This record gives sequence, structure tokens and C-alpha cells, in this order.
Amino acid sequence: METFRNVCPRNCYGTCGIISHVENGMLTKVTGDPKHGFSRGRLCAKGYAYTQFVYNSYRLKYPIIQSPRGSGNWKRISWDDAYNIIAEKILELNDRYGSNLALSYSKFSGNIGLLHFATEGMFNSFGPHTKPFGNLCMGTGEMAIKTSFGKMASPVPEDMAEAKLIVIWGANPAVTNIHQMKFIYAARKKGAKIVVIDPVFTETALKADLYIQIKPGSDAYLSFGIAKLLLEKKTPEHHPEHLNGWEEYKNFLQNNVDMDQICQKTGVKYEYIEKLAELYHNCKPAATWSGFGIQRNKYGGESVEALNSLAALSGNINVVKGGGVYFAHGDIYDFPLNLANFPEKKHPSISQSRLINISNFAAAIRELKEPPVKFLWIASRSPLSQDQNFKAWEELFQEMELIVTVDLYMTNAAKMSDIILPAASHFEEEDLNVGYWHHWLAINEKAIPPYFEAKSDLQIARELTKRLNELSPGFSDFPYDLEPIDWIKKELTPEIKKIYGISSYKDLLDGPRHRKQIETVCEEAFSFHIPKKWNPDAQDKKPYPYRLLSPQSLLKIHSQFSNISWLHPELEETVAEISKKTAEEKDIKDGMKVRIFNGHGTVTATAKINAFLPEDVILVRQTAKNTINRLITTRLHDENNPESTYFYDSFVDISKKEGH
Amino acid sequence: MIKQMGFIFNADACIGCMACEVACRNENKTFANVKWRRVTKISQDSFLSNSCNHCSSPECFRVCPESAFTKRYDGIVLIDSSLCNGCKLCVQACPYDAPQFDYETNKVTKCQMCYPRQDQGLLPACVEACSTAALGLTDLEVFMDPKAVPAIEGFPDIRITQPSIAFYPVRKKERYFLEN
Ligand code: SF4
Ligand code: SF4
Ligand code: SF4
Repeated sequence: METFRNVCPRNCYGTCGIISHVENGMLTKVTGDPKHGFSRGRLCAKGYAYTQFVYNSYRLKYPIIQSPRGSGNWKRISWDDAYNIIAEKILELNDRYGSNLALSYSKFSGNIGLLHFATEGMFNSFGPHTKPFGNLCMGTGEMAIKTSFGKMASPVPEDMAEAKLIVIWGANPAVTNIHQMKFIYAARKKGAKIVVIDPVFTETALKADLYIQIKPGSDAYLSFGIAKLLLEKKTPEHHPEHLNGWEEYKNFLQNNVDMDQICQKTGVKYEYIEKLAELYHNCKPAATWSGFGIQRNKYGGESVEALNSLAALSGNINVVKGGGVYFAHGDIYDFPLNLANFPEKKHPSISQSRLINISNFAAAIRELKEPPVKFLWIASRSPLSQDQNFKAWEELFQEMELIVTVDLYMTNAAKMSDIILPAASHFEEEDLNVGYWHHWLAINEKAIPPYFEAKSDLQIARELTKRLNELSPGFSDFPYDLEPIDWIKKELTPEIKKIYGISSYKDLLDGPRHRKQIETVCEEAFSFHIPKKWNPDAQDKKPYPYRLLSPQSLLKIHSQFSNISWLHPELEETVAEISKKTAEEKDIKDGMKVRIFNGHGTVTATAKINAFLPEDVILVRQTAKNTINRLITTRLHDENNPESTYFYDSFVDISKKEGH
Repeated sequence: MIKQMGFIFNADACIGCMACEVACRNENKTFANVKWRRVTKISQDSFLSNSCNHCSSPECFRVCPESAFTKRYDGIVLIDSSLCNGCKLCVQACPYDAPQFDYETNKVTKCQMCYPRQDQGLLPACVEACSTAALGLTDLEVFMDPKAVPAIEGFPDIRITQPSIAFYPVRKKERYFLEN
């Protein structure tokens, strides 16, 4: 038996270290890497199911092609043929339009290893194309953190154990970040109070010492309410007068924030707001955790900024272990990201790629003319499971001349593609991984040979660019001779080696390494922010009566892991959680089939009554196939900003299905 | 008997993440309907992660016509599945659904407390996997903690078999819901 070091590359807070156990080239077992200081030798349920993820009868084995698109009439082809078809289309479009602007790709977080930026690198090597930018998951929060602190930073999650108060706003670590729970519990053991503020009575709320239910999207209001009461408790000599924007913030709290309005907006009673203010006043250090959930609505940026201000007012932005604002960090940007930032090949007349916002990808691409986009490459993503605006996607698909999907499984998007290329799992490739929550760097070794004919994104980029150059010399300047290890070495610049205290990639073979210096925020760079428009009386227009919340499922990440029988012995079901009142009004019983609908479509689901759900909320967890995202179509404030998608600004109605 | 190895389950800490359940499968490669450990929500406030409890008076042991069950020196209850005739009497007798009937082999298997791991000085796979330390292992002959209790709400009757498990109950929490 041999063992290898791997890293779980899912879009997850964990980025856990894995030890893979291999016998005769087969992955027989996975365990947690005990040298990983955040996950500490453990994985989550999904992680422990990785042998089934790798060896799975649903996994794609060979390149396949279907015609017509969507027919399911798939035929196996050789990699050679697949490359030829793809390369010929790319060259033909280049011929037709005189550039590669007709090419685009949709790639996101299916595998967040650094070598998976090979897809971006490959497109850059073609020269100007149509390029998505932004971060549909946490862009809005990221902008808000930068507005407040001048940079992206998030404290060491292990240090949360030193907090005396932990306030979790709109995050559910018991489901999405289970390894953080032990640090939260460690703090509690030492006397800390754990508070959860969330419209949903989550698994984390169940464990909290204090849970306060809030109306969805009203986090900014609640934090202003807490701040106002906290300010009243502070004697003037304890005011943070030295911080930028203090006077305006103070005036705003004193003159514009009306507690009756706050109570009404948030649905939280005055005495509970008082309780929270008391806690922020008395417990230091206090850790404030801005969950991704609070920034999934159009007030999300303001909510994150308001929480940053509350943390500052309560004296918690200095670098004291256990204090600070947790969101996500930008350690990844310290790396050269040679693949993501691979220099764009020069074009004689077009200076750079056309940029489109990934948070509104499908609709934005369809607007483009001269030339229109005709070729779409999908990797590390199934937009027809987890993106929004499916109508735009479906129309976009119809307008494409070739759609190529790289995936391990037959996702909803793969089904609508022309060619699918089978992707390698992280056990079948080398990689280098940094997360966005903890500050560990780890190497991912190739532990087993590829499953049938699967290949990594990097291998595909190498082989396709080579083929393109054979057909059209000089088309791409991708350095296809470089091996994965060369790219790993290129990421480990002297600066990076210093940051992580390593002298070579080989040090990582002995175990993950923690950053030596953590990016921290400082009071000098901080500024208070007050909302640009403040009109608490304004009522949000609701085109349909229920707000749709669509958080992650425990045993999936979007569509990933949905085919694993250890995790999902039964067929996948889309479950709609509704309040008791909704159930009564609509005469719906537990287990009944229901229709959830709005102007974008209808999704059939099974009803489940949730006694703790706000009356005007319907909650549907993420699924792979029959996905609730079909009902989600949202708008950005500004297409030019890297905002995230406001998934929770979706409204729906519900009815019994006929026959009940 | 020198020892009685048993589980400690902290209901206040368990988040229902199912890592223990799947870690057991990863270790012991049980497939399909055979679940040696299971995580369920047993009450409004609590999850339960439960397996064979290696009871002091194991009913499985008592009812098995083939004497397929044994109890080790350390209290671990084992089944020799090669002796199992598939009658399922143990499945019916156990209050905890621990004996699992495998429809592929027509035999019963169950949690063996990872004795091969314990014999090497390792923790059971499920215990090792629990990131919140909600699931623990102890020798109940020596374990003593006034805060521990013999059962929690929703756990099956312990009087029949005297399961080798101790609990920490859920502590009281403060919660404020919207009044709508
Ligand atoms: S999904 Fe997340 S928690 Fe689970 S093993 Fe992967 S990184 Fe760790
Ligand atoms: S691993 Fe631990 S916390 Fe998770 S379900 Fe099992 S006992 Fe509970
Ligand atoms: S002790 Fe071992 S066999 Fe028993 S439930 Fe835990 S992992 Fe499974």
C-alpha cells in the first residue's frame, strides 16, 4: 500500500488535506491529513466518499459527441478526433471573424486548484477572446471588505477559538464549514458566547447559545440598530474618533437610525437588539463572521460594510486573536497565477479581450455583436444546475456553433453540449492548492492513473493548443511542453516561498504549510461607511409572495457528489421547505408534490413543513438535476463591477400539484 | 471482563454532519443498504450518531440460533457472518438496528468497533472522523463523569440490553423567532 498527499479542491471553506491510500494503482481509502492544521486529519462526509466519486458507474470515461445537441444520442470518439473537431471550429471562426472574439468560456469553482487556471491560460494563448470576469459567489462581499479595509483580508480561522463572542451572520458552518465548528466549540469551552443571526433556523443556529431570527436581507439594518445602542453605552472617551469617517457614522447612527424602524425592518424585537449590543459591548475579542448568505441580495454589499463598521465601533478590528471580521481572504492573489495571468497573445488590431461579467454571463454574452460568440467551452461548472437566468442560457446554447464541456459527470450543462471531454479527478493529476478561508498551502500529488481516458484541464490545454499549432502554426503560444510540476514550481516564487517558509515544492510533500505572515487589516486603512441611500420606509416590491432561499445541501456542493450512493442512496428529490402558515393557506401537507413557480418557469418539488421558517420564505436546497435555479433571474447594480449574483433576490409562488 | 469499550456521544456538540457514517463506509467498505453507523435527527434539538452499542447484555447474542455472536475481552460484540443463516432474529431483537441484513449475501453484518484498528492502537474510523469530538471512545469500566447521562430523549430503551454508550445531553439555548 502506498500513500499520497492530496487536497480537496472543492469550492468549500475546508480545502482539506487528504491522505490517499493506493493499492495496485487503485484508490482504496481516503483519510484526513493529520498535518493539515485546519482540517486536522479529518474530512467531511463528502470527502470520505471520494473512492465512490472516483470509481463510479456514472463517471465519464471517454470523449463523446452527440448529434443533434440534447438528443442524448452520444457516440464515443477518440481524443484525436475530439481535438480535431474543436480545433477546426476554432480556426474556422478565427477565419470568419478575423479574431477569436467569437470564443468564450464559462468556468468557475468546480476545482479551485491553481493548475485548473489552465483553461484561462489556454484562451489567453489564443489572443483576445470573450472573457468572463468577476466572482459570482462572493464578489459583492469582496468589494465591501475592500471598501471598508482597503484590502481583502480575513483572520486565521483557528484563532476564532480565542474569541469571547462569536457572531455568525448568514453562515451555516455546521453544514458548509464543519471543520470550523471545533474552533467555535473551543471558544465556547473557554467561556465564549456563540450567536447566530439568520432568517433560517440552521444546523448552526441549533448549536448556538443565542439564535436570533431576522428577516432576509435586513442584516445592515440590524447592525445599525446594534451600533446605535452600543454607541449609547460608550462614554465619549471610548469613541473610535481616530477612525476615518467616524463623525459621519456617528451622526448617521444618532440622527438617521430609528429603533422602531429597525425593529420593523428586521423583525427583531428591541430587547434582543439590546442584548446583542450588550454582548458586543462586554465581550472582547469578538469575532464577526459575515457569511456569504448576507451578500446574496442587493443590499448585500451594504450589509457586509455595516458589519465591518460594527466590528470597528466595538473595537474589534485590531489584530487581536479572536477578533476581527471573517469573510474570506485573498491569499491566492499573492501567487503569480501564471496560468490565469498567462499573457494574452497580441492581435494586430484588437488590444484586448472583450470582458463580460460572470455574474450575468449568459444574458451579457447574448448582447454581443460583431462578432457574436459562437463557441463555448464549459469547465469546472454546470451553469444549468447552479447559475441563474436559464432562459438566457438556453437561448445562448442555441446560438452556439460548438459547445464543449469538460466534466467528470453528465451534468445538466454537459447534456446540452456537443462534445464532452472526461475530466480527471484531483487524485489523477498534480496541483497546488490555497483556500479562501484558512491560510494553508498544500500540494496535490498524482496518486492514481487517470480513470479510463480522463485528462486534467491542464493536459487538455496542452494537447489542444499543440493540435491548433499543428493545423495553424503560431495560433497559440501556450507552452505545451511544460509539465504540471513546472507550473507548480513557477507558482513558488522566492516571495511565495518566503511567505510560506518553504525552500521548494518538496517541502510540501511532507505536509501543508501555514503562511508565516498573515495579511491583516489595520485601523489606519479602515473607514466607516454609511449607506448611499437610506430609506428604511421603502418597501421592496415583491412580484411573487415568497422569497426563495436556495442554500447548499449537506451532502453536495451544487451538483457535485449527487451520484454517490454512500451519500445519496435514494434518487435525488427537490424539497421545498415551507412555513406552517403557507402550508395551511395553500392546503399543502408534508410530502405532497407542489409546483413552485414565477415568471421564469415552474419547478416541481416535494413539500416539507418547516415550523421555524419565516412565513414569506420558501427554502429549496441545491440539487443537481431538477434545480430550483430555474426560477432565479437577478439583476446586478452595475455590470462593470465584479458583483456576485443576488441569488436570494428571487420571489416565487407555490401551489399543490394537480391530482392532490 | 476486564474492559468494556464503549462510545461517548455528546448530543450538544453533534452537528449531524454524517462524517462518521461515511467514514465507517470508507473504512469498512459496506455498500448499499448496509449501514453500520447511522446519523439521524432524533428530536427537535438533537442528532444521534448510532451504531452497535456492544451491549452488556446483547440481545443479538442471546437470540441467535447459530451462536454467531461473541463478546471479546474488551467488551466488543462480534458476529461471525459465516455462521449466520439469515434468519434475522438479531435484526428484530436489537433495539438499535445495529445488525444489518445484507441482501446480497443474505447474511447479517454489523459494527465491529473497528477492532482491527483498535488492536493497532488506532481509534475507530468514525471516532477519528468526528471533527467536533461529539463521538468518542472510552472504557466504560473506568469512565466516570457526573455530567454524563445514560440516555437522551429519542434514544431507544436502554434497560433491555444495557448499551455501552454514555451521553452528554443538549444544553439549554436561547432562541428568538420572528413573530411574523
Ligand atoms: S468538501 Fe470541504 S470539508 Fe469536505 S473534504 Fe472537501 S474541502 Fe474538506
Ligand atoms: S461526525 Fe460527529 S458531529 Fe458529525 S454526525 Fe457524526 S457524531 Fe455528529
Ligand atoms: S466503530 Fe468502526 S465499524 Fe463501528 S461504526 Fe465506527 S467506524 Fe463503523
